[in-house]
Amino acid sequence: MNDQESDDKVDLEELFDSSVEHEPTPMGERVRRTADLTLVAPARVALTDWRAVVGTLILFGFFLAGTAGVVLVDRPTSGDAPILAPPFQNLNYILGTDTFGQPIGAQLIHATPAMFKMIFAGAVVSIGVAALVGLLSGFMRGTVVDTVLMSVTDIVITIPGLPLVIVLMAIFAPKNPYVVGVLLGLDNWPGLARTVRSQVLSIRQESYVEASRIMGLSTGTILRRDLLGQLMPYITINSALASRRIIFESVGLYFLGILPFTTFNWGVLMNLAYKGGALNRPQMLHWLIFPMVTIFLMSFGLVLFSQGMDSVFNVRLRARHASTTSDNSAMDQGQGDGDV
Amino acid sequence: MATNYLAKRFGQAILTLVATIALSFVLYHAMPGSPTESLKNVILSQQAAAGGSTVNIERLNRLVALYTNVQPDQPLYVQFYQYFSSIILEQDLGTSIYENKPVTTLIFERIPWSMFISVYAMVVGYSLSVLIGAVMAFKEKSRFDSVSSVVLIGLNSVPYYIVGILLIYFFAIQMSWFPYGGRVSSSVTAGFNVPFMRSIVMHAVLPIFSMSMLGLGGALTMRGNSVRVLGEDYLRVAKLRGLRGSRIATQYVGRNAILPMYTQFMIGIAGVFSSAVIVEQIFSYPGVGLLMYNAIQTQDYPLLMGSLIIFTTVTVVAIFIADLTYGFIDPRISAGADNE
Amino acid sequence: MSVRDEIFEIRNLDVSFELNRGASRVVRDVDLNIHREETLGIVGESGSGKSMLSSSLLNAVVEPGVCSGEVTYYPQDGDPISVLELSESELKRFRWEEVAMVFQGAMSSLNPVMRVRAHFRETLQDHNRDIPAGLERARELLESVYLDPDRVMDAYPHELSGGMKQRALIALSLILEPEVLVMDEPTAALDLLMQRSIVALLDDLQEEHDLTIVFITHDLPLLTKLADRLTVMYAFGIIENGTVDELLYNSSHPYTRALLAATPDLNVPVDEMHAIAGSKPDPVDRIEGCSYHPRCPIADEHCRSSEPPMATVNGTHESACFYHEKAREAVPLRGDSKQEGAVHE
Repeated sequence: MNDQESDDKVDLEELFDSSVEHEPTPMGERVRRTADLTLVAPARVALTDWRAVVGTLILFGFFLAGTAGVVLVDRPTSGDAPILAPPFQNLNYILGTDTFGQPIGAQLIHATPAMFKMIFAGAVVSIGVAALVGLLSGFMRGTVVDTVLMSVTDIVITIPGLPLVIVLMAIFAPKNPYVVGVLLGLDNWPGLARTVRSQVLSIRQESYVEASRIMGLSTGTILRRDLLGQLMPYITINSALASRRIIFESVGLYFLGILPFTTFNWGVLMNLAYKGGALNRPQMLHWLIFPMVTIFLMSFGLVLFSQGMDSVFNVRLRARHASTTSDNSAMDQGQGDGDV
Repeated sequence: MATNYLAKRFGQAILTLVATIALSFVLYHAMPGSPTESLKNVILSQQAAAGGSTVNIERLNRLVALYTNVQPDQPLYVQFYQYFSSIILEQDLGTSIYENKPVTTLIFERIPWSMFISVYAMVVGYSLSVLIGAVMAFKEKSRFDSVSSVVLIGLNSVPYYIVGILLIYFFAIQMSWFPYGGRVSSSVTAGFNVPFMRSIVMHAVLPIFSMSMLGLGGALTMRGNSVRVLGEDYLRVAKLRGLRGSRIATQYVGRNAILPMYTQFMIGIAGVFSSAVIVEQIFSYPGVGLLMYNAIQTQDYPLLMGSLIIFTTVTVVAIFIADLTYGFIDPRISAGADNE
Repeated sequence: MSVRDEIFEIRNLDVSFELNRGASRVVRDVDLNIHREETLGIVGESGSGKSMLSSSLLNAVVEPGVCSGEVTYYPQDGDPISVLELSESELKRFRWEEVAMVFQGAMSSLNPVMRVRAHFRETLQDHNRDIPAGLERARELLESVYLDPDRVMDAYPHELSGGMKQRALIALSLILEPEVLVMDEPTAALDLLMQRSIVALLDDLQEEHDLTIVFITHDLPLLTKLADRLTVMYAFGIIENGTVDELLYNSSHPYTRALLAATPDLNVPVDEMHAIAGSKPDPVDRIEGCSYHPRCPIADEHCRSSEPPMATVNGTHESACFYHEKAREAVPLRGDSKQEGAVHE
């Protein structure tokens, strides 16, 4: 908790500096400080929370599979191995093979990069739109812009996401994983946008902001300084939850066969196995089960990570702004639209 | 204040509907090529199947207009006005290309079934999460509490459609307790008789359970809220007043802990309705979701857009009803205050 | 008259909490008598155990605190009741019917989603009282605390001000006509004016309803206006007892005297009496000898090694100090000479 104190002192110094004559902090110092605040301190707290540790490990495992794994394991092709080999028999296809003789393990690994692309695109779109809408309407509170943006937000919250996404997918039939991610991210921003807006509003009301305003700093400068730190928890946790949602939806759509089968995808595997009647044929069951386990693992990692981060940030927030009465954790606010 | 709030929510509901209709109109035009182009092939193949002769462009436009209410040869604003007014004034969502029946007829046949499983899924999911969350809070830090948290995080990481597949595998295929598809057994006669009712219930159990997974995320929120309420002064005073335990549990802990979740529940309505699309496909449950799925397979765009509009309407109405009732549950809402 | 003078008799009361670093004993071996229809003021620093003592009168010490010892309640008629041995259902009846309590969280002591009327109704219902008659009585009570029953009964808590809530709560505490009203810092969160008006109100109510009031506060000046008798607590035990006049003008414990000295003017309340040198004791520590010896100016070897018993100073005035005769000179009060003159003339 010593970092905490030093952080606050730094803030205070900056405050006083600016009242006399504002000298910008050296770039290196600023980077170091930001790194300390946003990376080192949370990491240290995160190590004490088992959920954060396990979640991060799982996600790192998937990261390895998506980068090194793709290089190390050959891209599966038909006839690589005997068809429908049972799992845990042969080291070359340890998870068994499908009806085309493609090793299931290799397919799972080669589906990971596309998954990451989707998640990345989806998270960037949803977080980006959310930040843009939230900041704009927060800054322009009470204006027409605010009213319009918030109405749009409410409308998007209400429109059932999945049917809309399905219609979009049916019309555009996207093949590129980035495009799939963007389309999935399109209806995922309103919750975070509202959070960002209320954070902007609450920062404007805090007493130290009032003080810096009296000292002559512009509202913009103050918000820039404090907003990022304040929003980090929400952005991190929402990214994790948005990722989980994108996995659920994309796999669901591939599983239904609504998205074109262009690449390897866990949902495609499930679709082929399910359509092939894996539920009724014990010798095919592994074809269905391993993709499901993979999806579970990845979202379990994401959920653990978000919950761990939630408590990490809560500890930090509580220490920093003991006076603010925000009992709601970022988790609660993200959860509402995290479902689906 | 209260009427003001409701007026605002009503306006928002209307706006959402208008926005969805506008969106579906835009989507017709956003299809690769024009609506004429993209529908041409579909219609032509239908015609060919029906043994029709060659069609000229005017006839095609007429057909497009007949099916979609979009008249491709008119200026855009006229097109939109006609599209919009035929939906609002005549409740005409166009005609299904594949089935050659009015979209409204097709959808209204199916809606009760989707509503049936969605409503019960919501009731089951939310009651379970409230109950589990409350018990966890009462036994805070007990074994039950910690085990349940891990189980809930686990369930949060399993997409509801995977739950659906697992339910089919274990309870329909392995145990044969429930049928694994359809909405009623073909062997019973329709009507107001016990075997028919029983068959409907048996067919609905598994879809309802897999959809209710969506509501379970609320259990952890409920736990947090209950823990907070258990520490409130009014709870201590209620105990000091010698009130009955059941009254304290429901009127004091229950009511005050559930209230903050009401918004989350409202937003969740959209999610549960949406999930019908995937769940109905897995269970071959003939509701609107399955209709929509089939529409994608047959490129039946009028039916697809109609389903989207109907899904939105149902969600908007459900959320509006929830808004109406919110005032009865939380007296503070009438005091105004857009507390965010 | 066969009615006993005591309404409460506390013997060897202990309250303790199990903490990771050991048992925390927040009330230690307390003996106390509460007389019928008196107003007893219990005063002490925050953390001296006074709230725990008062909660134990209803066997309502917050979990996971454990009470031991004897708390005996003598009803107007009927057999004495041993409060700490009551069963769950007996306790539910005992609370609010015999002893009611208003404590410092008055601002949030009412259920935010229920009207004030519902609070009265559910209390009556769960104690099997006649509801229409009870609600009529509730209106009278609200009137007697200067609230408009028509308005307040139909109001939700958030529609009332802090003072109104506090008064509504006092009315609620009297709805079942209890014998004893325990008030734990009921005025802490209110402004001065509201404090005074509530104190005046309590005086009237006590007379009207033949109440016994136990009033807990760290606001000594407030107590001197209200109480008949004072009990001073320090470090989880009682160190001095006596009538208000005795304690004000003839206090015989160095702590009480330091307390009085630290209160600049009895007409001005102080929030914390921290002007006394030294720090508060930790409830986990074992205390050797007199609990006040580390801060006491006249402590000697005797005080450090053995615990002083309660000794009678004068009539009902008792002090737990070996040197209660010397305390007066050792810790002088401001204006003592003048007061002394006044008392001895």
